[in-house]
Amino acid sequence: MLTETAAAQKLREAQGFTLIGKRIQRLDGLEKVLGLPLYTSDIVPKEALRVKVVRSTVPHALVRHIDTQPARQMQGVLAVLTAEDIPGINESYALLPDRPLLASKKVRCQGEAMAIVAARDLETTEEAAEMIRVEYERLPAVTSPVEAMKTDSVLVHDNGNVAKYLRVRKGDVQEGFRQADVIIENTYGTQFQDPTPMEPEVGMAWVEKDGSVTCVGSMQTPYYVQTGVAKVLGLSPDKVRVIQATTGGAFGPKSDEMPVDTCAISALVAQRTGKPAILAYGREESMIAHTKRHPFVITLKTGAKSDGRLTASEALVVSDTGAYASLGPLVIIRACFHATGPYVIPNVKTDAYCMYTNNTMAGSFRGFGSPQVHFAAESQIDELAKKLDMDPLDLRLKNILRPGTLTATSQLVDEACGLEECTKRATEASGWRAKRLEFGLDRGPFRRGIGLALMYHGNSLGPEGNDYAYVHMLIKPDGRVVVRTALTEYGTGAISGLAQVAAETLGVPIQLLELGAADTASCVETGPTVASRVMVIGGRATQIAAQKLKKKLLTVASDFLQCEPSKLTIKGELVGHIDDPKRTVPFRKVVEECYRRHISLTETGYYIAPKCEFESENSQGTTYQQYTYGAVVTEVQVDTELGIVKPLKITAAYDAGRAINPLSLEGQIEGGTIQGLGYGLMEQLIHSHGMVLNPTLGDYYIPTSLDIPELQTIIVEYPGAVGPYGAKAMGEPPVDLPAAALANAVAHATGSRVFDLPLTAEKTLFAMKRQQR
Amino acid sequence: MNGKDQALIVDSTERLLDVLRDRLNLKGVKEGCGTGDCGACTVIMDGRLVSSCLVLAVQARDKRITTIEGVGTRENLHPVQKALMKYNAAQCGFCTPAMILAGKNLLDHNPTPSKEQIKEAISGILCRCTGYYKIVDAIHDAAKEISEARC
Repeated sequence: MLTETAAAQKLREAQGFTLIGKRIQRLDGLEKVLGLPLYTSDIVPKEALRVKVVRSTVPHALVRHIDTQPARQMQGVLAVLTAEDIPGINESYALLPDRPLLASKKVRCQGEAMAIVAARDLETTEEAAEMIRVEYERLPAVTSPVEAMKTDSVLVHDNGNVAKYLRVRKGDVQEGFRQADVIIENTYGTQFQDPTPMEPEVGMAWVEKDGSVTCVGSMQTPYYVQTGVAKVLGLSPDKVRVIQATTGGAFGPKSDEMPVDTCAISALVAQRTGKPAILAYGREESMIAHTKRHPFVITLKTGAKSDGRLTASEALVVSDTGAYASLGPLVIIRACFHATGPYVIPNVKTDAYCMYTNNTMAGSFRGFGSPQVHFAAESQIDELAKKLDMDPLDLRLKNILRPGTLTATSQLVDEACGLEECTKRATEASGWRAKRLEFGLDRGPFRRGIGLALMYHGNSLGPEGNDYAYVHMLIKPDGRVVVRTALTEYGTGAISGLAQVAAETLGVPIQLLELGAADTASCVETGPTVASRVMVIGGRATQIAAQKLKKKLLTVASDFLQCEPSKLTIKGELVGHIDDPKRTVPFRKVVEECYRRHISLTETGYYIAPKCEFESENSQGTTYQQYTYGAVVTEVQVDTELGIVKPLKITAAYDAGRAINPLSLEGQIEGGTIQGLGYGLMEQLIHSHGMVLNPTLGDYYIPTSLDIPELQTIIVEYPGAVGPYGAKAMGEPPVDLPAAALANAVAHATGSRVFDLPLTAEKTLFAMKRQQR
Repeated sequence: MNGKDQALIVDSTERLLDVLRDRLNLKGVKEGCGTGDCGACTVIMDGRLVSSCLVLAVQARDKRITTIEGVGTRENLHPVQKALMKYNAAQCGFCTPAMILAGKNLLDHNPTPSKEQIKEAISGILCRCTGYYKIVDAIHDAAKEISEARC
């Protein structure tokens, strides 16, 4: 539905909200439908040099020699650079200092940058790049994370293949299994998923007259780029200015190494030549070089009483982070803490390993370890239901997290838990009970199935770092309100959401709001734009900035209206008395008066979430400050002769805490659901002996408009403790469940389970054949 | 070219995409892959959608080309543009120009398309943000608005 229903409007107004909960248009909508926003490649100066990167073509080798001579001698080539030309430190990493910007002595995966070429035009640059010859001495490679755990494995880095290990220990898992009437054990596998933002990575740089450097690029986190580029160039960070251009999708890989790489490489060329330089990845280069979703191997052993009550869970969770850690060590934390799924289990033992291999680098990608573990946990619950001969819905309702229960990390679930309502509403809306029976009666080659999956998603950074944000606000003399932050917009609409929070807090119409650019020259460092943080943490900082401004405005207005500031409020474009609607003064006049009195109408809001306190040895305690919950029901039709899975309908219910803008929230749910559907059914960046086989959009399929089933979204609201007005993280969670729910629907349709994603026709057919045998 | 004659001498190897972007400064045309798979560079050529990365500029000789710059203006948006705005159907915005051109071209030929026909019409353009739903709904709404305006 496009517009708000009368009932929804009534509820919103009863809650005292003018804009919160209202379906409003994003502030950048008009520019975008006109095709006007300037992405990095749209603002390249004529004189800019085009940069290409020469990348490793083997997964593991010593580098004997890089022959750059032929390229250097080519006419039109203005720079050829290798590791030894880096004036600062040759590093580009997110967490562990394991990754060089330019590899020189050793390469550990395909696609490592080794040399840089720049010329005036792309043709010359490409030709020159092809002339650079690298002499390798091949080394044996390890390309499976399970193999990498073995004591005699090839070492990717000298200090072992484990990039991170952690565990959860709750209760006594042996005792839990002793109490169980039924125990099942299965191993699940997941694949590399490519994030595929529609705009591939791109960065541009130039040198200013004073020797400082300006970078413009497609990115999530400008301050990461500033730090990274400064280090490579050997400059102090204040000599590097970073501006985010309009960014054409991100989903994770534009947070960490890639924007540093594109900007630093361009900056090296700019520094060397004195000319602006741009590095724009091609699609293939992007798919090989950037971080993608970690493949996991997950072994789950689950015990339950005959009535379905879960008694114990033992899990071994192994992720493949590729040749460099990137954020793998943080991804594995989230995966480890969520590995049981959203259930009450008294005895839990989880061991989680993030492993190096010679595959390409995995890292930050929407969901951050959660889609993998939810696929395994939710498949496992259905397998258990089958063994217990229970309806999977009943088994879940018996065990789900509810207020007052404890998570796997023994965190007490608070009142802000809408999991039960999500479960009930998604199953009721989809007609679960009837379809569960009806689909089971299908005969002939086409069989329908219906599957359910539940999730919880610890919000924001939690154990992953200090969770803070700064948001700047300025009211101009004409009364227009500018919101500016180094948190970035890359498609979600979250920054428009901040404007909505600002307008609600101030009491002014949204039409007065403007968004400023994310620029290190005008916004302070504010932590990364990741983990669905903008609304939850940035929203709180926005409220604080707006409250400070409001206080100033009301103080000045109180002189006009001859009363205490506490008796005043801002509504529409008027400041007025709470009890006497006729006593008003125009908002704009109050603003003008502030300027006349030299009262600054610039404020910065700062918010930091409470620290998560937990015992780190066994990971017991508060691991996240609030959780998003959700339930997804999928219906599929399986061609049992060909194995092809056709999704028919998805019903998705989420506890969003508070829907700040339901229209944008639906957009997040829809987009995440289809990215999750791609993960479940078709997407797989295939690595063979460390080499990516399908790094093109012709060979790597993401869903098109013809692949999408009917989708019903349901939003429930159990306001959380942290986000503004109770808002919870909703950027990432919608990608967590579709694959799990699809796997369960396929198992329902065919009676046989596929244990590895994606659910290709081949695997579905093979599972059925195995069952028949 | 967006309703105007445009005389240009092009090299036989130049892609239409590059001529549009670099020589005519029509930056609303985007490049997402360069292999004709993503559709971000879609333009309308003589009433048909083409991937301008796969069309040589010389092939556009004597053809009518429409890009996003020729669809609507700030003051006078095309109904498809208006509808995409209303639905917040432009998220990152990178596929948006192509989606709007596909929607406009469909409605030029078929003013009352079904949702299935809309999905078919935009199926050559990939979008990673929206899951397509709001785009389909928006184009469907625009069709209604156009037919109501005609009545």
